Amino acid sequence: MLFNSYEFIFGFLPVTVVFFFIAGTRSPRLALAWLTVASLFFYAWWRPVNVLIIGPSLAVNYIIARTLLGMSTGGRQPAGARWLLAVGIVFNLAFLGYFKYANFAATVYTDLTGTRFLLEQVILPLGISFITFQKIAFLVDVHSQRIKSFSFGDYCLFVLFFPQLIAGPIVHYREMMPQFHAATCRPNGTDLAVGMTLFVIGLFKKVVLADGVAAYVTPVFAAAASGESVSMFPAWIAAIGFTLQIYFDFSGYSDMALGLARLFGVRLPVNFDSPLKARSIIDFWLRWHITLTRFLTAYIYNPLVMSLTRRRLTRRLPVLGGRQHSPGAFVQLLAGPTLITMLISGAWHGAGYMFILWGLMHGLYLIVNHGWRIYGAPRFAAPGAAGPLWRSGAFLLTFLAVVAAMVVFRAPTPDSAMEIFRGMVGGSGVSLPPHVVARLPSLAGSLSTLSVSSGELERTLVPAFAWIGSLLVIALALPNSLQFTARFEPAIAFKPGPSILPLLRAQALWRPTVPWAAAVVVLAAAVIIRIGGKSEFLYWQF
Amino acid sequence: MNDQEVLAVMTRVLRDVLDDPSITLDMQTVRADVPDWDSFKYVTFIVAAEIELGIKFGIADVESFVTVGDIVAKARSLLG
Repeated sequence: MLFNSYEFIFGFLPVTVVFFFIAGTRSPRLALAWLTVASLFFYAWWRPVNVLIIGPSLAVNYIIARTLLGMSTGGRQPAGARWLLAVGIVFNLAFLGYFKYANFAATVYTDLTGTRFLLEQVILPLGISFITFQKIAFLVDVHSQRIKSFSFGDYCLFVLFFPQLIAGPIVHYREMMPQFHAATCRPNGTDLAVGMTLFVIGLFKKVVLADGVAAYVTPVFAAAASGESVSMFPAWIAAIGFTLQIYFDFSGYSDMALGLARLFGVRLPVNFDSPLKARSIIDFWLRWHITLTRFLTAYIYNPLVMSLTRRRLTRRLPVLGGRQHSPGAFVQLLAGPTLITMLISGAWHGAGYMFILWGLMHGLYLIVNHGWRIYGAPRFAAPGAAGPLWRSGAFLLTFLAVVAAMVVFRAPTPDSAMEIFRGMVGGSGVSLPPHVVARLPSLAGSLSTLSVSSGELERTLVPAFAWIGSLLVIALALPNSLQFTARFEPAIAFKPGPSILPLLRAQALWRPTVPWAAAVVVLAAAVIIRIGGKSEFLYWQF
Repeated sequence: MNDQEVLAVMTRVLRDVLDDPSITLDMQTVRADVPDWDSFKYVTFIVAAEIELGIKFGIADVESFVTVGDIVAKARSLLG
């Protein structure tokens, strides 16, 4: 069931919330059990067979976690527990591997050997990438004794809680369960107001903003994929437009998840913190899909670096320390693990060459960024590094790097990505629609390469630029939804940084008042009249 | 080893890792309190402390430590 569908907004959600509070008057346990059952229904709605696929995986994880819990005695874990944890992780990865990568593996095999390897199309169960990561984190937490007890009911609610079931944020048991246990399960005015506001903001970002700009992005990528050449302006519209589309789509989804959880009195972790405002790629990854970065850092990057550091220290080789890093330590302890982590991140996003290429690009960006910080900045950037010109340059470079990688992320084939890049640098000419050229006669004369085209992509240039300009202003100049509701701790431990613009003084931030409620209703109305077609979230496919 | 002894080892290891003999740690110190203690040097510090004390932290521990006191407490529980 999509969050942006009538059946969710007018059917599932009100029924779930109302019965949750009714059950809460009897006992919180009953209310939480109802929430679990409703979440299962939510998951099954799309394709009931998904439950049959995911159910056994949940059962196996539960048994492994229970066994791990039984094995722990005092501070230490027996050696067997380590093996059992390894079995659990391999089971989850194999499960994900089969459903997500079997088809891709067959394609790679065919490409490499030229022998066709036929495999029946495996259907990807909804949200499997998110669910798998969350279960791995759960097993690791049980093994490390950070989870000291849990009941079957707790486990099911943690795994199935519908606001974050399908596309995150990726949460930890230890940050969720204490909240459920402390929940009164009675209606709370502030929670309901903050929750509805976040939900409506997220819905607006998805349905109006992301789907709105998608109308100009999709035809350009489709043209590039079918081998048409794409002139400069449509190419830029596609590249920047898709970056904005996925930002509003996914951060909108995250806002909705945070809002929905809050209706039940529960906070989720921050997932987006205005990533497009970042002034370095390192900063970008601290603001974009934060819970994924947190997971990859904790469970892939850190263990990798720790084991490599251990090896280098025992061999008395230089490690990352002191004021300068040796090139050997930089390559082995920073560049290598970064590249591996980002390649895994790429593959996690989707089983395909383009996603892996996207991961590779971001891995290389991060290495360059770290290299600059360690070797370049101390030498070249000391004077003026904090000046506005420097900061603007850093922002622009980061933005263009993100946009270039987004082209690769979106394009179905390397050829179509190259077509967009060729267009962006002017390799396929610069064309304007006749009605624009007619109004700008001086421009037509001054640009020798300019051509007039009444092609489909050029026809919509003016509204497309208007959309992209407006979305850029919203993404770059306004506070984000969490800063906007910052007074009411919209996410776990959310502290609005100094990035809130001074022009938005405290009184301009959201409060549960009638004028703000009216504004939210207007946003909601704008959404409701637009919901019609089925528009999936980009991240639901992962 | 008691808290103070483990803390003394941690301090010595961090001084080594950051190449800064002026560093002093207490149980409430967090990473942001120590100049130049970034996430890379944090991992180096953790591994160097492991080797020094003959213990091994779990990957979930490394992510969860907030204060130096958290690290000392976990180290002591691993030392038995």
